[in-house]
Amino acid sequence: MLSLFSHFARLIRPIAVWLGSCLCAISTSAAEPVDFARQIQPLLSTACYSCHGADRQKGELRLDLKSRAFKGGESGAVIVAGKPDQSLLIKLIAGQDPDRIMPAKGDRLTAAQVELFRAWVAGGAAWPDDSPAIAAAADKANLWSLKPIARPALPNVQQTDWARNDVDRFILAKLEAAKLAPNPQAERRALIRRVTFDLIGLPPTPSEVDQFLADSSPDAYEKVVDRLLASPRFGERWARHWLDIVRFADSHGFEMNQPRPAAWPYRDWVIQAFNQDLPYDQFVRQQIAGDALGADAATGFLVAGPWDQVKSPDPGLTAQQRADELHDMVAVTGSTFLGLTVGCARCHDHKFDPIAQLDYYRLTAVFAGVQHGERSIVTKKDSPRRQELLAARGALEEVEKKLKRFLPAGESMARSPIAATMNEERFAAVDARFVRFTITASNNGSQPCIDELEIWSAGDAPRNLALAAGGAKLAASGTLPGYAIHKLEHLNDGQYGNSHSWISNEAGRGWVRIELPAAAKIDRITWGRDREGKLVDRVPTEYAIEVADKVAGPWRSVARSTDHAAAGKPAPYVAKTDAEKSELAKLLAEQKTAKETVRRLAEEDKIYAGKFVQPGPTHRLFRGDPLAPKEAVTPGGLSAVHPALDLPADAPEQQRRIALANWMTRPENSLLARVIVNRLWHYHFGNGIVATPSDFGHMGARPTHPELLDYLASELIKNGWHLKAIHRLIVTSAAYRQSSAIRAEAQAVDAGAALLWRYPARRLEAEALRDSILAISGKLDLTMGGPGFDLFKANTNYVRVYEPREDFGPEQFRRMIYQHKPRMRADGVFAAFDCPDAGQTQPRRPVSTTPLQALNLLNSQFILQQAEFFAQRLAREAGDDPGAQVRLAFVIAFARPPENAETAASIELIRAHGLPAFCRALFNANEGVYVH
Amino acid sequence: MSTDLSHTGRALLDRRAFLGGSLGGLAGIALAGLLRDQKLLGAEPVRPLIRANAPLAARPAHFAPRAKKVLVIFCSGALSHLDTFDYKPELIRRAGTPLPGSDKLITFQGEQGMLTAPLYSFKPRGRSGKMISDLLPNLANLADEMCFIHSMTAKSNTHGPAENQMGTGYTLEGFPSMGAWVSYALGCEAGDLPAFVAIPDPRGVPQTGAAQWAAGFLPAVFQGTAFNADRPIPHLARPDSIAPAADVASRDFLKLLNDRHLEQHPGDTALAARIASYELAGRMQLSAAEVGDLSKESAATLDLYGANDPNKLKAGFARNCILARRLLERGVRFVQLFNGAYAMGEGVGNWDGHKSLKKQYDVHGPIIDQPAAALLSDLKSRGLLDETLVLFTTEFGRMPTFQKGASGRDHNPRGFTVWMAGAGVKHAFSHGSTDDFGYQAAESPATIYDLHATLLHLLGLDHERLSFYHNGIERRLTDVHGHVIREVLA
Repeated sequence: MLSLFSHFARLIRPIAVWLGSCLCAISTSAAEPVDFARQIQPLLSTACYSCHGADRQKGELRLDLKSRAFKGGESGAVIVAGKPDQSLLIKLIAGQDPDRIMPAKGDRLTAAQVELFRAWVAGGAAWPDDSPAIAAAADKANLWSLKPIARPALPNVQQTDWARNDVDRFILAKLEAAKLAPNPQAERRALIRRVTFDLIGLPPTPSEVDQFLADSSPDAYEKVVDRLLASPRFGERWARHWLDIVRFADSHGFEMNQPRPAAWPYRDWVIQAFNQDLPYDQFVRQQIAGDALGADAATGFLVAGPWDQVKSPDPGLTAQQRADELHDMVAVTGSTFLGLTVGCARCHDHKFDPIAQLDYYRLTAVFAGVQHGERSIVTKKDSPRRQELLAARGALEEVEKKLKRFLPAGESMARSPIAATMNEERFAAVDARFVRFTITASNNGSQPCIDELEIWSAGDAPRNLALAAGGAKLAASGTLPGYAIHKLEHLNDGQYGNSHSWISNEAGRGWVRIELPAAAKIDRITWGRDREGKLVDRVPTEYAIEVADKVAGPWRSVARSTDHAAAGKPAPYVAKTDAEKSELAKLLAEQKTAKETVRRLAEEDKIYAGKFVQPGPTHRLFRGDPLAPKEAVTPGGLSAVHPALDLPADAPEQQRRIALANWMTRPENSLLARVIVNRLWHYHFGNGIVATPSDFGHMGARPTHPELLDYLASELIKNGWHLKAIHRLIVTSAAYRQSSAIRAEAQAVDAGAALLWRYPARRLEAEALRDSILAISGKLDLTMGGPGFDLFKANTNYVRVYEPREDFGPEQFRRMIYQHKPRMRADGVFAAFDCPDAGQTQPRRPVSTTPLQALNLLNSQFILQQAEFFAQRLAREAGDDPGAQVRLAFVIAFARPPENAETAASIELIRAHGLPAFCRALFNANEGVYVH
Repeated sequence: MSTDLSHTGRALLDRRAFLGGSLGGLAGIALAGLLRDQKLLGAEPVRPLIRANAPLAARPAHFAPRAKKVLVIFCSGALSHLDTFDYKPELIRRAGTPLPGSDKLITFQGEQGMLTAPLYSFKPRGRSGKMISDLLPNLANLADEMCFIHSMTAKSNTHGPAENQMGTGYTLEGFPSMGAWVSYALGCEAGDLPAFVAIPDPRGVPQTGAAQWAAGFLPAVFQGTAFNADRPIPHLARPDSIAPAADVASRDFLKLLNDRHLEQHPGDTALAARIASYELAGRMQLSAAEVGDLSKESAATLDLYGANDPNKLKAGFARNCILARRLLERGVRFVQLFNGAYAMGEGVGNWDGHKSLKKQYDVHGPIIDQPAAALLSDLKSRGLLDETLVLFTTEFGRMPTFQKGASGRDHNPRGFTVWMAGAGVKHAFSHGSTDDFGYQAAESPATIYDLHATLLHLLGLDHERLSFYHNGIERRLTDVHGHVIREVLA
């Protein structure tokens, strides 16, 4: 957070020094009244603010605000105007109380400075009133956006025939108060082009334009709106906006910046959520705790930000990296859903808003168990991938069934040897509440090690019930002491490898016990010593696995080490005849292939949506320094948002996020609805009702139409959080349908059109521009979902090198939201159009105009190629007549026929230089790049 | 080029109402409340006055500048201060013994070996007698021009965040680069060239790549344009497949369309600005091609830089150095010249000497030395150093020890050296120091915030008042930190 107070302190420091040297001169001229701002405040700042300022208020005394300074502190009033002898402040700085000399730290004030204070108090202690923002900061919780949403009465307006819905009443009331009239309605071609780009991010097709022009019914426009809201293109358009806000990219960022090939399911989830009009409160809850709500991909939100892949044995660096990851999650959660700059409280209390540093770390504790990375998900039963996986598992079982006949008598199943990496124990489904793993020998005689123990629920959609994050509890015979990387809690933390493992404290033996959160049917246990495959010692080689269903015992055995072949030996199949041998070889080959298929499909079931582990304690960090931990904090929400959220220190990981998600989406939370309806307004009009869409704090903008904001927010809650209804309300308003024409007299009053006397024209965003060029050329591929296409050349360097590609094929002709978007690496053609780089959240894109944009649209291979395609399309659809070609081109590109002069100039260009030259020019025209 | 703006457009763009951030908030959101409150507090942001039709036009500084433009030479991978500019006799004496207190010290790649003397011997240089090593002999000869800061510290000891910090002020991703901040504040005097040019090494880009010249959340117009002597601005030239006459005809037709469209939307300055950007693009096609054409450089100049050297990498870097001079000559505000790239891996194509530092620096030293020294002396002889600040920097330093079991030095953000030269800074001057071993900044420790504050100060900019509102915060290059290092000012 930018500290204005500390700015101020630094800025005036030289002045204070100067004052000090000139004080004699000042104090001798007794007639001059003491000037607070010039003479007193600088001294207060250097001598007092460090203990009695914005950051700290020792003795509950605060001297940087008039209201608080005169109120005094624990010892009562400290300044009594006109009476220096009764003012504690003077007494203490003058050193009259030897036990309490102020300042307690740093240099004493000089005699001249004390005299200056005395003269100031004697003269009446004049102190200018605090500015509204400073006063608000003193009373941080008095924040407009935290006040309950009140459904406002509709304002009265004079012009009664303008409003089309209630939204317009609010707009018109403000316009009338400013003596401004709204613009007339835009003409139909402009309107359909505007609303089509706005809702689906593509131009209207010629037939859509014709249909609208020909439709004389009173709800012709509403029909267009409803068609667009129902289009799958709608989710693609609005998901792009959302991905800006949540800094989503398909690569990690920082030095290595390797791709995240499994990040796209989150992008697809957002698209689907918008298309299906998922109620916004659920949309929020799923992004925080989707793993508990049947929406695994949604938690891609948590880890959509940058992640430094470069790891080091330096504990300081490791701690800093982790603190930065959590900061990203906390800050983006706060600004995205609550519109509060929670990230500003990382180092100290927020200067202006009611966000204590403690709040920041309580939120950090909520996310403390979220790790970057891929996790296996339970895909929906009917998804093709799920079917494929089930089929592959079935095929493997078939092969193993056939193999059984090659087992010698007494061998009950196809035994694989115990592996250091991973072992699977299958058994008939059994009710279990407790699972015990008792080891009686290890392969090298030393203390045995298990890196992860997973207990799988029976049925079609097995889940690992052993995770601490799900609430499972652990016990053990003992743990090798003194190693941070070998702890009992690593047994069920969801993390693989020696660095996250449990090691027994006894050579060759030990037991662990997991208590599931609830009794469940289980049929499979998987475990390993080092799933990363690096270490092969300490492998348990003699063990028994038992379950108990209600209390910890009596125990029932479900698997044991003797179910496996001895380590290092192949499975003991026996084949006698040549026919049998060849049959066995064939089956073993099939088994190998089937295993590989299962492994691959299971692998593909992973998405970049975070891994969840039970975290240790979270501490407040002094000035945000991860190497300066202070007291432990418990997970919780912002103290200013009521009712409070308070969780126990040891709350299970998932429970923390579920609780936060529920807390944020409580109807009492005034921020959630206000922030999202403002975002919708922002994207529809180019400006929010609150101009700072992710900052509803004291430093952000105030709403231009506060009642309208509350009206929309209460509408959203009333309609069950359905966003499409709000979109419809906004785009069917008269305010939205106005023409964009500029009227000089209105411009003079409200240049930015904040009061909406016109529809503010806008340039297309980078993605909409690219999509529209493809739509115009006829090459746009509307395939939805799945892995993204790449706009960069392939590269396998460990520090990924991003070289924009210059040749484009059909796979690059999908909508740009399906680009595999690398972080911090801009695409070579369209990034120049203010495309965010996903390094930081971007709730409001800037719009700038540069000659590089012109060069990219004139000379890039992409444009030349699309110009060729557009030319081919015109020839195909309009025949050889240049006049017909030109007419079609204008209708496709600009939703209007050409004027005569344009037709003549177009034909001249086409005759002299061909259709592609004409098409290249059209792609560059302002008319195609701006929406009016 | 016949794409001059129409009468209507010209009149529109010349109107006074067009000034300021009226278009798309180029200067950020000037919130009335923000301004009011900050004014009361005395440190209100100074919003650059940006003309939307010429967003890169020169703008006044906050106060009289000491330097008009900046050249940053960035050594990617962390150039060892101990083997170049920071002379430590005690390190030579105690070589082969442990760094005191280092038995438990874990740095980026792990444990420490023994203290290791500089791998290149030091000699007094110039009239000042500054001790500089033999790794960079030509640069060393210019010691009397240089103003060293030996007490630099960085916040991170891994390349990504550390390069981010040197380039953008923040260790995190997504913040505007220093050149973008300067373009935003000051625009540029080279009318037809970009205000901020990044010149990647012939071997490729640094670890954090384009983040070094990104606009972050600033408008894209302020981002650096990346090109070098061998790779021109992308899409600058008319493609071969377009005949010159067809290009002219298409652009004339485009202008006709745009003019008619503007007539339909009277008063829309954004449209006029975009028409103007096509004019500028046309002029840039000529001027950028001209600046990148080194064929007019004399044989003596080419030889001075080593542009014909048989070492292809050296010759390539030399051509980039000549390009840097040509850009500065033509008024480009901020030129960032990169030495070293990461495409080839740790230490191979850059200064990241972990395992066999001597072997790698023997390769890298000659690539940078003569060309960079020639650039500095050429700037001086042409009088450009009077108005250009040169900053020679890297992301952090290296350890006085070798890594355990290796012949190279690990990352060390606790102490390293940068130097400046040219406009506004002292000559033959050294500020601050590291301890006896060159391990930690000891006297007058300086942060990257301080370095950036100093750089902005020399350009006439108050680092506390150069800000841009983003997502709840008036963001600055120096975050909430930074003090101008007054000791280095001339």
